[in-house]
Amino acid sequence: MAEINPFEVVRKQLDACGEILKLEPEVLAALKEPMREMHVSLPVRMDDGSLRTFKGFRVQYNDARGPTKGGIRFHPDETIDTVRALAAWMTWKCALLDLPLGGGKGGVVCNTKEMSAGELERLSRAYVDAIWKNIGPDVDVPAPDVYTNPQIMAWMMDEYSKVRGKSQFGVITGKPLCLGGSAGRGDATARGALYCIREAAKTQGLDLKKATVAVQGYGNAGYHIARLLRSELGCNVCAVSDSKGAICCMGGLDPDAVCEHKAETTSVVEFPDTECISNEDLLEMEVDILCPSALENVITADNAPRIKARIVAELANGPTTPEADEILHEKGVHVLPDFLCNAGGVTVSYFEMVQNFYMYYWSEEEVYERLDRKMTAAYYAVYETSREYNINMRQAAYVIAFKRVVEAMRARGWI
Amino acid sequence: MFVESGIRGLDEAIQGLRLGDNVVWQVENLPDYVFFAEPFIEKAARGGRNCVYIRFAPHPPVLGPRSGLEVVEVDPVQGFDYFSREVNRIIEERGREAFYVFDNISSLAVEWATDELLANFFQVTCPYLFELDTIAYFALTRGKHSNSAIARIRDTAQVLIDVFSVEGRMYIHPLKVWDRYTPEMFLPHEVGGEEWSAVTQSGDAAAISTVAANFALGSRGSSIAPWDRVYDKLVVHCGKGEEPGEEDAELLALKEEFRRMLIGDHPEFNRLARRYLRLEDLFAIRDRLIGTGRIGGKAAGMLLARRILASASEEDGFDFSSLLEDHDSFYIGSDVFFTFLVDNDLFRLRLKLTSNSHLTYEEFEEVERRFLAGTFPPTIMEQFRNMLDYFGQAPIIVRSSSLLEDSFGNAFAGKYRSEFCANQGTPEERMEAFLKAVKLVYASAINPDALSYRRKRGLGESDEQMAILVQRVSGMPYKKYFFPCLAGVAFSKNFYAWSSRIDPERGIIRLVFGLGTRAVERVGKDYPRMIPVSNPELRPESASEVARYSQRRVDLLDLEANEFTSLPLHELLSGRDYPGLYLLVSTVSDGYPVDPVGRMVDGPPRDFLLTFNNLIKRTDFCSIMGAILSRLDAAYGLPVDIEFTANIRQDESVRVNLLQCRPLSLPGTSGPLLIPEIKPEARVLFKSNRMISGGVVRNIRFIVYIDPVAYGAVPSPELKKEIGRLVGKVNEQPQVAEGRVMMMGPGRWGSSNINLGVNVSYGDIHNAVALVEIAREEAGHVPEVSYGTHFFQDLVEDQTIYLPVYPDHPEAEFDHSFFKEAPNRLADILPGAERFQDFVLLIDVPQATGGLYAQIVADPRVQRAVCFLE
Repeated sequence: MAEINPFEVVRKQLDACGEILKLEPEVLAALKEPMREMHVSLPVRMDDGSLRTFKGFRVQYNDARGPTKGGIRFHPDETIDTVRALAAWMTWKCALLDLPLGGGKGGVVCNTKEMSAGELERLSRAYVDAIWKNIGPDVDVPAPDVYTNPQIMAWMMDEYSKVRGKSQFGVITGKPLCLGGSAGRGDATARGALYCIREAAKTQGLDLKKATVAVQGYGNAGYHIARLLRSELGCNVCAVSDSKGAICCMGGLDPDAVCEHKAETTSVVEFPDTECISNEDLLEMEVDILCPSALENVITADNAPRIKARIVAELANGPTTPEADEILHEKGVHVLPDFLCNAGGVTVSYFEMVQNFYMYYWSEEEVYERLDRKMTAAYYAVYETSREYNINMRQAAYVIAFKRVVEAMRARGWI
Repeated sequence: MFVESGIRGLDEAIQGLRLGDNVVWQVENLPDYVFFAEPFIEKAARGGRNCVYIRFAPHPPVLGPRSGLEVVEVDPVQGFDYFSREVNRIIEERGREAFYVFDNISSLAVEWATDELLANFFQVTCPYLFELDTIAYFALTRGKHSNSAIARIRDTAQVLIDVFSVEGRMYIHPLKVWDRYTPEMFLPHEVGGEEWSAVTQSGDAAAISTVAANFALGSRGSSIAPWDRVYDKLVVHCGKGEEPGEEDAELLALKEEFRRMLIGDHPEFNRLARRYLRLEDLFAIRDRLIGTGRIGGKAAGMLLARRILASASEEDGFDFSSLLEDHDSFYIGSDVFFTFLVDNDLFRLRLKLTSNSHLTYEEFEEVERRFLAGTFPPTIMEQFRNMLDYFGQAPIIVRSSSLLEDSFGNAFAGKYRSEFCANQGTPEERMEAFLKAVKLVYASAINPDALSYRRKRGLGESDEQMAILVQRVSGMPYKKYFFPCLAGVAFSKNFYAWSSRIDPERGIIRLVFGLGTRAVERVGKDYPRMIPVSNPELRPESASEVARYSQRRVDLLDLEANEFTSLPLHELLSGRDYPGLYLLVSTVSDGYPVDPVGRMVDGPPRDFLLTFNNLIKRTDFCSIMGAILSRLDAAYGLPVDIEFTANIRQDESVRVNLLQCRPLSLPGTSGPLLIPEIKPEARVLFKSNRMISGGVVRNIRFIVYIDPVAYGAVPSPELKKEIGRLVGKVNEQPQVAEGRVMMMGPGRWGSSNINLGVNVSYGDIHNAVALVEIAREEAGHVPEVSYGTHFFQDLVEDQTIYLPVYPDHPEAEFDHSFFKEAPNRLADILPGAERFQDFVLLIDVPQATGGLYAQIVADPRVQRAVCFLE
C-alpha cells in the first residue's frame, strides 16, 4: 500500500477551504507551514547500564490564538510529518471550540513495550529537559496521547517544575487527579459528543426519547456514549459492536451490562438475548443515530448510500471517507464531524489548564456544565456556517477554524 | 477332552490334561521341569499339534530344537507391560488349541523386581490361554515367592503341581486340578514306573508331607524378587543413609539397582540421578511409596530438581534450601496400576485400546465408568488410609506420574489427569474422593488424547505404567478457600521474547494468582503475566492494554463445597484483606494501571488488575526464579521447564515450592533438532533465518497463499476483512484440515488493523500446521507483531510453526515462480469463492508438483528454517 504523507492531506484540506473562504494564496502559504519545530536527541541510561539515544520532536504549529496545545506520542514509527499533521489538526480543533489556544504535537520514537518503568521515567524527564525552554503554561502545554499516560504526564510536570524551581502544574494536562488533573476527564469525549447530538436532534427535529442508536466500537468512547445517550437523553441503544462483531436488540440494551460482559469475555458478542450481526450490518441499520466510535474509514463510498441513520456522530477519528461525506450530505444525513464531535477531550484539557492557573478546582458538575456550553456553541457555529455557505458539516467546521486562526493572525499583524 | 501329557503315570494321577489347562509346576530345579515338559511337547508335536516354546529366561533352554516346535523369544527387560503385550500377541496369532511351554517364570520376578508383577503377568495371560483352549506349562521355583503371589497364581491356574524329592525319590503333589477328581488325586504320588502310586501309607505320607508342607504355599523367607532383597541389603550395609564409598563396587551396584527399581532406566536421567540422588533420598522415596514399582517421570523430575537445588553451593549466590518449601509427597508405585488393571479385569481392555487406535470420547466415558467401579487390594487400601491419616484434612493433589511422562523428549504435557482433592469431610468421605481421583488418573492413561499422542510419537508400544504422585497442595486458607498465592510455570529458555532487549537465555515465567491450573491450561480469555527473567518489568502490552491481557479469574479449592472451583478476582478480593495484596494488584485509574504505594491499595475491587508489579519490583521473586532456572538448566545441560507455587511472607520474603521439572519441550519439537541436509535436487520454496518457533512438519498438502502485492492493492477495507473470513472458511474445510495446510500471507496476521496484514483471529487458522508472515518492504508489511502477542502464544501452545519470511532478501531463496505458476484450487474446494481468486491462492502441492509435498524444518536454536518440496 502506498504510504500517504499525512501532512500532505492537511495541505489539501487547507486548499479546499481556502477556495471556499477565498483566502489569498500568501495567507494559505503561511498556514501551510508549522511555525516552530524542535528536533531533539535524548540520551537515556537503560537498566542494563547501556546508553541509548532516542529521537524526539515537538511541533508548535500555530500559536496565533494562544499557547499551543497537543499530546505527546511515544511510538516506534513516529515521523515528523505525522507530528506536523497532528499539530495542524490540533490548531483547527482548538479554534473550532473557540479555546484560546493554538495547536501543537510532540513525539518520541520509542517502543514502550520494550522499556521498564524506570527507563520510561528517565526518557520522559530527558524529553522535558530537552524542550523545557520552549514549553510552559503560557507557551505550549502538552498532554497524553498514544502510549503515554497520566503517570508520564506527572513525571514530565515534575521535571519541568524542578528546572523552573517552582510548582508548575499548568505545564501539562492529563495529569493524575492528585496532581492537578481535572474531574470529568474519564468520559469527556463521549460527553462532548452527547451535547452535540442533543443539539443536532433539535435542529433535525428528532425526538430523542424515541430515538434509536447504534454504536460501532465499544472502547472508552463507545461505551460512554452508549451509557450517556441512554441515561441522560433517554435514547434506545439497540446495537453495539467491537472488533469481534456486533449485537442487536431492538428493544434496547443495557450498556453497563454489556460492558461487564465484555470485561469478562473480551467481547460484546454473545451477550444474552441479542441477535448477532456483523459490523457492516450495524452501520446500515435502520436507526436514528449512528455513532462510529472505533476505526477510520468505515463509512465509504461503497456503503454510504445504504446508511439509514439521520445523524452520524463521529466519535472516532476519520470514520468517513471524503467521498462518503459527499454522499451522506446529498442524502441529507446530518454528520457531526470528528473534530467537533470528539473535541470534549481537548476542551476538558483546557479546563484543566484553567483550573491549574486558578489553583481552584471544579466539581464534576461544573466541568460538565462548562463543557456543555462550549460544545453547544461550537455545534451551532458549524451548523450555521454549513447553511450559510451550503457546504457539508465537515467543510463548515474547517471553514470556521481557519477563519478564526486567520483572524487572529491578521489582528496580530502577522499577515 | 482328555489330552495326554506324554507321561502315563501323570495322566493317571490327574486324569490327564484338558484343553484350556494352565499347568504350573512348582519345582526345586530346572531338570525337574524339563522332566515333565519334554514328553509333553514330544507327544504333542508327534500328534501334529502346534507347539510353541516361549523363551525369555537366562537359564538353559527347557526344550531343544525339534520339528514341530516353534521357539519364540520375548525380552522381559523392556518391562511388564511390553512383555505381557508381546505374549498376548503371540497367543493371539497362534490361535486355538496351541500347546505352550514357558521358561521358568520366577526369572520374571528378578527382572521386574517384584512378585506382584509376576502374578499380574500370570493373571492376565492364563485366562486368554484358557479361552483359546490351549494347554500351557509354566514353572515356578519353589520357596522363592511371596505367599500372596503364589495364592494369586494358584487361583488362576487350572492345575498346580508341587514337585519335590525326598531321600532321592521324586514325588509330585497335585495341589489343584480343576474339574477332575479321584479319591487319591490330591495325595503325593511317587514318580517312577508306568503307574505312579499315591502315598497312602500314613507313615510315609507324614514323612513326605513334612518336607512338602514346608514349601507348598510359597516362601518361608523373603522372595527372590529383588524389591525387598536389595533394600534389605542396603539397609544392613549402609544403615539409613550412609553413602557407599567409591571403592565399594558391590554396594554401588546395589544402589544403582535400587534406583533403577524406584525411578527407571533412562540413560540421560541416570546420569543426573547418579550424580545428585543420594542413598538417603532413595530410602526417603521408598519410605513414602505405596505398593511397589517405580514412581514415574513427574515425581522423579521433581525430586531430582529439588536435589540439584539443595546441592547448589554458595557460589551460586543463593542458599536454595532456605528459599524452597519442603515437600512431603507420597508415591503410588507403578505396580499398583497393573494390579488394579489385572484385578479389575481391565488389562485386556487396555491392551485392545492401546493397539487399536480409535477410541471415541463416548467410549472413553464407558471406560472411565469401568475404572471407577474398580477396587484395590486390602494391603494397598491400608497404605492409602495411613497416607490420608497423615495428611489429615489438608488439601492434596493426585497427579499422574507415568513412566514416560516428563521424560527426555516426551513431555506428555497435560495429556494425563491431575485431580485435586479438597480433602474435607469424614475419613470415609475423604477416602472415597481420593480413590475416585486415583481411578480417574488411571483411566486417563488410555484417554483418546494420550493414546493419539503416544501413537504420534511412536510410543504406542512402549512400557507405559502409571505411577501417581500425591502432593500436599501448597498454599493457605483464605475465607473458605484454599490456594497458593503465586503459581505458574517457568522456562529456562525464552522462545517468545517479543523484544530484542530480552535475553532468551535467561528464561521466562508465566505467573498466576491462585492454583497453577490457570497458567498451564489455556483458559479462554484469561492471561497469566509473562515475566522475562532478564527484564522482569517488560510486558508485551502497552499500559492501556494491560487490563485486557490479565488474569480475571482465580482457580482455588472451595473447602466448604469440597471442590475445585474458580472465582472472579474482584469477588474473591472483595474484602481487600488478602495478605500482601499490594504486591499482586494494580488499580485502574483513568484507564491505566497504577501500582499501590506502600501497602495501601486504593479503589474498588472491580478495578483491581493482577499485574504483580510490586512483587516484581519489591521482592526477590524474579531473581530467585531466575537462579532456580539457571541452576537447573546448567545441571540438566538442557533447557528445562518447571511448575511451581510460591508464597510471600509478611517481610516480603518469597518461598518457592518446586512441583515439577522436566526437559523443556520446544514449541513443535520433541527433542533436539538438526536441519537436515536438503538434497541438491530438492526445490526450496523459501528459507527463514529470523525464526522463532521450531519443529518439523512433513507432507504439507495445501498452501494458502495470499499474495502480498495483490492484498496491498485491495481497495476496500471490507474486502480485506472478507479475505480474513475466507481464510477461516478454508481452514474449516475437512479436506484441507486433514491434508495439512500451511498459511502464507502479508504482514501481521491477527492484527486488528487490516492494513497491516491479514485480518484473522486464532480460530480462523487453528488447523494450520505452519503460519508464514511475508514481509515485502515496498508493500509496507512488516511481520513480528505477532511475536510475543497472545495470538503468537496460541500458536506456540498449539505447536503451530511460525516463520517470518523476507522474500526480497536473497538469502530467503523465495521461489516466486512456484507461487506464480501453481494452479489455484480455491474455487474447486470452496465453491463460491471465485471472486477471491486474484488475492488468495489455494495450492494443492502434490497436484502442482506431480506428487511432491512441502516440508518444513525449523530449528529454534540456530534460528534457521527451510521449506522445500520432497
